Amino acid sequence: MSQVPRVQRIAELVIRGSCRRLPEDQRAERGREWSAELPAILSDTSVRPAFRRGLRALGYTAGIAVSTGRLRRAAAGAGNRSGGAVHARPASAAFRAARGLAIWLAIAGAFVGVLSAIPHPGAWPIAIGLALAVPFAAYCLADIARAESVRGLPKWAWAIICVIQVPGGGIAYLTFGRVGRADARPPGSVPRR
Amino acid sequence: MKLTAPLERVLRVLIADPAAPHYGYDLMKAAKLPSGTLYPMLARLEQEGLAESEWEAQRPEPGGRPPRKYYRLTAEGVRVTRLELARADAGERRVLPGTPRPAHGSAR
Repeated sequence: MSQVPRVQRIAELVIRGSCRRLPEDQRAERGREWSAELPAILSDTSVRPAFRRGLRALGYTAGIAVSTGRLRRAAAGAGNRSGGAVHARPASAAFRAARGLAIWLAIAGAFVGVLSAIPHPGAWPIAIGLALAVPFAAYCLADIARAESVRGLPKWAWAIICVIQVPGGGIAYLTFGRVGRADARPPGSVPRR
Repeated sequence: MKLTAPLERVLRVLIADPAAPHYGYDLMKAAKLPSGTLYPMLARLEQEGLAESEWEAQRPEPGGRPPRKYYRLTAEGVRVTRLELARADAGERRVLPGTPRPAHGSAR
């Protein structure tokens, strides 16, 4: 019994953490369901060598984190529409704006700090450019990952476009690829009807 | 619920043998879908009464694997799936050369 692979233990921890995003009455059951799939993945001998099974288990676990986010948003949307209780407490718009700004300042500060240490005349513009570009690309990627579906191209194609052409690709995605979210807004932003 | 390409793949796996129970990893492999797509979809199918799940009976032997949750289509789910897939087949414009079109009216 104690011979549980380390990958499985890490994955179980992540799954348990992800399940905290679910409504309380689903957490335990979902956790058990998803953890029970891990031995099946790790003992799937059609995938060789063993470390690829480990990678697959970690990929599966990342997908569980995505699932719980989607399930929570779906539950919040349904709760709002029916006027019922919203299980997860939604963060207020002001709090989310402040958190976003703080993350952006941290990233910008890191780039400026690293590059201003380099005695090169072009360092400052590069630092400012990166401080703008990286969070924007990250925002676009996060938006693609959270979206139920995107228009025109598959998700992976939009993701590549957003990364290789930083302002242009992201702007193209936000203009053409993004699906307007009536139901999948961040929890709490939909007014009750 | 719109019939998206991933949903169609899951439904085709489930309808192949409607009585057979499928666990998550089994479905992921058969439908070639990541867990992040599959589980929200299964949750929605369950919510709409098209699929149901049940826990495997606890296995007695010590050190055995933990019980799994199995999914299958409900009777209503089988009916809706047949209808939707037939509609998708009929409306499919892109047929690969040499691929026989699915015969209509054949019992599956």
